[in-house]
Amino acid sequence: MVMHPTRTDATVLVIDDEPEIRHVVHSALRSTVARVLDAADGRSALATVKAQTPDLIVLDLGLPDQSGLDLCRAIRAHSLAPIVVLTARHIESDKVALLNAGADDYVTKPFSTSEFAARVAAQIRRARTARPGTSGAVEADGMSVNFTSRHAHRDGKPVRLTPIEWAILRALTADPGRVYTHQQLFDAVWAREFGDARQYLRVHITNLRRKVERDPTHPRVIITEPGVGYRFGTPLVQESA
Amino acid sequence: MAQLRSSATISVVLWYGLLILVTVVMHLTRETQQSQAHVVLIYLLVVLGGSLSGGRPLGFTLAAAATILISYYFQPPFDSFSLTKPIDAVVLSAFFATAGTTTYLLVRAQEEAAQARAHAEEVERLSNEASHAEALRETARFKDVLLASVSHDLRTPLTSIKALAQDAADSGDPNAVIIVAQTERLSKMVAHLLDMSRLNAGEFPVSIELNTAEDLVGAAVLEMTGSNGADRIRVEIDYAAPVLIGMFDFVESLRVLVNLLDNALVYSPPTSPVILSATRVGDWLQLSVSDRGPGVPRTDAERIFEPFYRHASTANAVHGTGLGLAISKSLAEAQGGQLIYSERSGGGSVFTLRLRAVGATDPAELPVEQ
Repeated sequence: MVMHPTRTDATVLVIDDEPEIRHVVHSALRSTVARVLDAADGRSALATVKAQTPDLIVLDLGLPDQSGLDLCRAIRAHSLAPIVVLTARHIESDKVALLNAGADDYVTKPFSTSEFAARVAAQIRRARTARPGTSGAVEADGMSVNFTSRHAHRDGKPVRLTPIEWAILRALTADPGRVYTHQQLFDAVWAREFGDARQYLRVHITNLRRKVERDPTHPRVIITEPGVGYRFGTPLVQESA
Repeated sequence: MAQLRSSATISVVLWYGLLILVTVVMHLTRETQQSQAHVVLIYLLVVLGGSLSGGRPLGFTLAAAATILISYYFQPPFDSFSLTKPIDAVVLSAFFATAGTTTYLLVRAQEEAAQARAHAEEVERLSNEASHAEALRETARFKDVLLASVSHDLRTPLTSIKALAQDAADSGDPNAVIIVAQTERLSKMVAHLLDMSRLNAGEFPVSIELNTAEDLVGAAVLEMTGSNGADRIRVEIDYAAPVLIGMFDFVESLRVLVNLLDNALVYSPPTSPVILSATRVGDWLQLSVSDRGPGVPRTDAERIFEPFYRHASTANAVHGTGLGLAISKSLAEAQGGQLIYSERSGGGSVFTLRLRAVGATDPAELPVEQ
């Protein structure tokens, strides 16, 4: 499925020491955002975050003057804008650390520009929507969940969920589209429990998918982020070129 | 050995020589001022010296010889073994006992000292080994940093090339389409080479956790979305049966499945479906990828998992790194699993990733509250 993000009036800050990558990001976002700002190092990036309050920040991890993790935390201390990380490594623990440090999404190099643009647009949209969960109801791919009345429907038909499945859905839909790490989900669902119960998170997710997805192995409601966690919402994948 | 024996001979000669010497000297002066106590003390010194340098055998024989010499030369009546006073017998046996005991203790002390030395050497050797292990860890860290920088250095230019070519391809340049495809191939090669060097480095960390086959299959299908022919993938899972649970590394298993699906799509006719199925067989979770490709000749069935294996008939037709199956097998084995090939009935290949299954297939035993 191709995501065709609509143009927004958003300002995006790109933090990257490689001019070529900045160019690529500029051209990828040309048609979707109003303004793209540049920073080549951590220090000037922080200054721009404070002065220009961008709506989204694209952060490359290979900066010369600062670790990406530290910069991520430093930006978070000043701004709530979504942070999309560009990483060259396929190391999941790095991604988990970044998400825990306040990043919202990540893209692995070499990335497809349309997928990248779709992710950026989704993050901007997400940041601008009123915090969900407050409304008490969410919808995705023909699945509707109402937390106030505790009713769930798949294509209009009622679906019965167990208390743990409700808790998992509640946690994932607090911020649809955001990636929740396994740890964050453990903490949200099994806050006061320790030990064995937690390790069955993935089993509960699989059972839940059989109820909420049209096709459990082509999930469109609960998306797996391998080695990292889960996300509520449609998958952000580009169709073949 | 020969050297040891000769040094033992030297000390025997030396200490018996000394024994004779002191006997002669004391014999010369025995009429004048000497008491039995002096004689005994001097012999005792000789015995101790002998046992220090020659060990127990020399010590004990010197003690015996000295006892005889004392009795013969220095106890009245001189130059005879007969004893006149009972006290002389006491002195004699006291000497022998003292000399024997001190010899014994002295040698034991020596042995303990030698043990302590050996122990100290062992400690030193171990601490050397520990610093060697530290050095190895340091090397592993260095390798990790190196790999990170290599992957950064290679992937960053690939990103620009791919993105710019994509732009040109979108505006209708047919050459750019080829650049995009080749860039993707190149990034796959980079990834495979990095995997290979990580696997060869020996320390390959896996995080084995409770996971489900269905989640894995879903992630593999999602990852394949967008690649050429992905719509030919058919998933076969029994959703009415209990969830298939296993202990495995999700990320590495996902990469194995994606490799297998990639291969199956490339090697099979463009209209034939590729089946991805998950079943439980005994203690294994079996994830199988079946295609209607040419299969593998019987003679090559073992060799297909070797790095850079290429079947002659496909070597020119198909692009790849030649590392995918070798890496996949290593990734499977690193988490206690297996990767096996079998012929598909009716033609084609079946590659099966076997992972450790967990729990019963009986739904009552599943940890799901109702």
